[in-house]
Amino acid sequence: MDLTGMKKLVGATFALLALMLAFAVPAMAEATGESGASGDSGEDILRIGWAQDPQTLNPFIGLDEESYTVWAINWDLLVNFSEKDLSPSPGIAESWEVSDDRKTVTFKIAERNWSDGVPVTSKDVKWSLETLGGEGELFTSYTNNVTSITTPDDETVVVKTSRPDARIVGGLFIYILPEHIWGKVPLEELTSTYQPDLPLVGSGPYIVTEFERDRIIRMEQNPEFIGGSPSFDQVQFVKYGTQDAVERALDLGEIDSVIEVQASTFESLGNKENIETVKSPSPSFTQLAFNLCPEKLCPDANRNPAIQDLDVRKAIVYSIDRGRINEIANRGTSFVANGFLPSFYESFYEEPEEIYAFDPEKANQILDDAGWTREGDGVRTKDGEELSFNLYVRSESSGNIQAAKLISEMTKEVGIDYSVEVVSVDKLTDLTIRSKDGKPAPDFDSFIWGWGGDPYDPSFLLSLMTTDEIGGSSDSFFSDEEYDKLFVEQAGVFDIEQRKELVSRMNNILQEQVAYVVLSEDPNLQAYRTDRIANVAPACPEKTGDIICEQAGYAPLLTIEPASGSSSSDSGGGSGAIIAIIAVVLIAGAAIIIIRGRRRRDSEPVEMEEEE
Amino acid sequence: MSGRWLAGKVAAAVLTLLFVILFNFFLFRVMGDPTTQLARLPRATPEEIEKLQAQYGLDKPLVGQFADYVGDTARGDLGTSQRSRRPVWDEIVDAMPWTLLLVGTGTVIATLLGSWMGVIAATRRGQKSDHGLLGFSLFTYASPEYWIGIILILVFAVWIPILPSGLQVTPGVEFSSFFAEAVDVAEHLILPATAMTLMLLGQYFLIMRSSMVDVLTEDFITVKRATGQRWDRVVRKHAVPNALLPLVTLSAIQFGAVVGGAITIETVFSWPGLGELSFQAINDKDFPVLQGTFLIFSFAVILANLAADILYFYLDPRVKAS
Repeated sequence: MDLTGMKKLVGATFALLALMLAFAVPAMAEATGESGASGDSGEDILRIGWAQDPQTLNPFIGLDEESYTVWAINWDLLVNFSEKDLSPSPGIAESWEVSDDRKTVTFKIAERNWSDGVPVTSKDVKWSLETLGGEGELFTSYTNNVTSITTPDDETVVVKTSRPDARIVGGLFIYILPEHIWGKVPLEELTSTYQPDLPLVGSGPYIVTEFERDRIIRMEQNPEFIGGSPSFDQVQFVKYGTQDAVERALDLGEIDSVIEVQASTFESLGNKENIETVKSPSPSFTQLAFNLCPEKLCPDANRNPAIQDLDVRKAIVYSIDRGRINEIANRGTSFVANGFLPSFYESFYEEPEEIYAFDPEKANQILDDAGWTREGDGVRTKDGEELSFNLYVRSESSGNIQAAKLISEMTKEVGIDYSVEVVSVDKLTDLTIRSKDGKPAPDFDSFIWGWGGDPYDPSFLLSLMTTDEIGGSSDSFFSDEEYDKLFVEQAGVFDIEQRKELVSRMNNILQEQVAYVVLSEDPNLQAYRTDRIANVAPACPEKTGDIICEQAGYAPLLTIEPASGSSSSDSGGGSGAIIAIIAVVLIAGAAIIIIRGRRRRDSEPVEMEEEE
Repeated sequence: MSGRWLAGKVAAAVLTLLFVILFNFFLFRVMGDPTTQLARLPRATPEEIEKLQAQYGLDKPLVGQFADYVGDTARGDLGTSQRSRRPVWDEIVDAMPWTLLLVGTGTVIATLLGSWMGVIAATRRGQKSDHGLLGFSLFTYASPEYWIGIILILVFAVWIPILPSGLQVTPGVEFSSFFAEAVDVAEHLILPATAMTLMLLGQYFLIMRSSMVDVLTEDFITVKRATGQRWDRVVRKHAVPNALLPLVTLSAIQFGAVVGGAITIETVFSWPGLGELSFQAINDKDFPVLQGTFLIFSFAVILANLAADILYFYLDPRVKAS
């Protein structure tokens, strides 16, 4: 290829591009005209952006948190969570009755159809509870007390349990799937590679009609839905590469809502025009955990035994300013925690008797009284033992790392030395689940990590502190006889007030023993465009909850509506004109290149420099 | 002789590929066992974890896992994604066209534009246009591609909102025709392809420029000039063909950078290609997908290098002679 040949080629390429664009302009205008925020037929679409999307819609194998967001819109539970306070409210079952011995619950199924027109029956319930409850990776253990599920007729389901289990009402977080579809698939396939056909037959207000992994999930209105009439014709979940890209898209109006805003950008996003941010509590928390495993259960645990000294833990908790950690590490987006059970559990939460408000002097006093002495600003010691601990923290959480550093600074003030070790999730998991000779052998003094519970029933979170869970989910290896007894008792109490009292007692035991220092209750951080979505009312729970009842239900989707005049907003608007301008510039450029190439052919040679 | 040379090159390529396959397996095992993640899964009992491990084949010893992996790969089975439970090959096939479109557009424009600029700069060495082009190229060459991407988004999507900030197509729109969709995709392609072009441009420019400068100072150019041929003809007929050689090698070597660039550019622009697939898979520790995409990337780089060797063979008589 020679010089002018190359010039010609470049010129031609530009000309071709320009030509393509020139042709594109009318089509472009057409496309943006009919697309925009509303679809071909002027449909109102709610666009939600996220950076993580579900990898599969099959609940037997899905492991993503985001899956719940979609499932919770597509399917009802047997008993839904009320948008008011997440307490039991009619779902597939319109009513239920608990027997006197509390071991039998009889559910009445409402008369309604699946989105494909097939009636919902008790068979669907039985199949779902038994099969999804028995085999779905995320759903087992909800039914571990269930002894039988019978269906005397199409409208009745009777669930019997070996012992009273309050989760049967309000805590059976198992989606009810249409048996006439899922029941035909061999179990082997359901639990391995099965990808459900679309539309995803469901009972909720919207059903999935398009699922392109890593791109989009489109949900359209369920024609058979009886619980109300949603205003948006479609709900779309749009996948972006990064969380920054999602938030930028919201700012640019490419999407209408973001359901997981970053703590670092939450405030600045809220200052943008037409964007409202919502911070709501969630059943998740971040805790400082201690290695409390009793000697007889964990003979080979590796830790500084001083961490098991209650006085030391009390000094630690008094020396930590949780408010400051929230301000700095979480940029003020979390809720300062007072005790183990998150206040999110409105039905069961009561502030514990002892909340350990920040008081370093008291911490010093406790340690002085307990005989931990210190020289100057040094580390306290007693009988050759030193208050030096490791504090593991996950590398992926910058907030947790910051919290760990703050804790290290704060405890230093009272003579406790915390060395922060940033490790991978795998490493931290290995340290906590390490075992030797079939017995747990946790290898840490402290770490920072978090847990998330169910929307209503506190049993899962409470179970983390039971002796039974040592070797299972327990990561503090806490063990207390009375706590264990109360745990079993509360699990069988259907009466909310009565159960609340038991749960409070448990919460107080954990506080008294300083089993965890729960640093913060994690929030749901969301944002939406006020020029696109109107009538937003936080729900789940009422007033303080989030904008779509994420993962817990779909009630807000029935009340939010498109903001007036919003359907004309389109980020691509006017791009036709811009493209025309670009095309003109390109054509001009190509012309200049070609003309100059011609002229150069007749001109004098360019100056040559002498060889150096 | 030439047949043997070719065979040698192909054999080397195949050997490299085999090594990559071996290396690939162990590389991702270093990242840890994905089931330790599942241990943290609320409510997962040890039996369930064992079941999962069995499903993923992770219950076997490493040697057994490796044997499975090699056997499957040889049969063209890249395994099943641990997250989506879809065949890895399907995921790659879904993502590949988007990467080819982005990388193809970027490479073609960068090569043409870069080498053209190189010729211009070399023939005007020391002049203002040379300095300008050199400065510009060094700047784009030195800037990280994701940074270029973010700046492009900032300028053309945020400050002057004329182009979409990401994705490959306007989400959820049903297009009236293929043409309308193609236009929409083209509009989304502009920024990422520009980032790709700017990332690659500098090298093509610099190599072409220095190669041209070398060639232009060679005696045969002076001789050609002395014969009274027109200058631009000398450049066109004698200098450029000789200067193009290093560009061929560069294109092949660059391919590795292109792949790396694709990962970051696709992530910045939410472009659903192989790069973004890999990025997601890294986040998810989805080994089979990572193995698959890395295999494809390596295969592409090896193939590009082999192609460059062969092309060189035909372009440069000196290679044949040796």
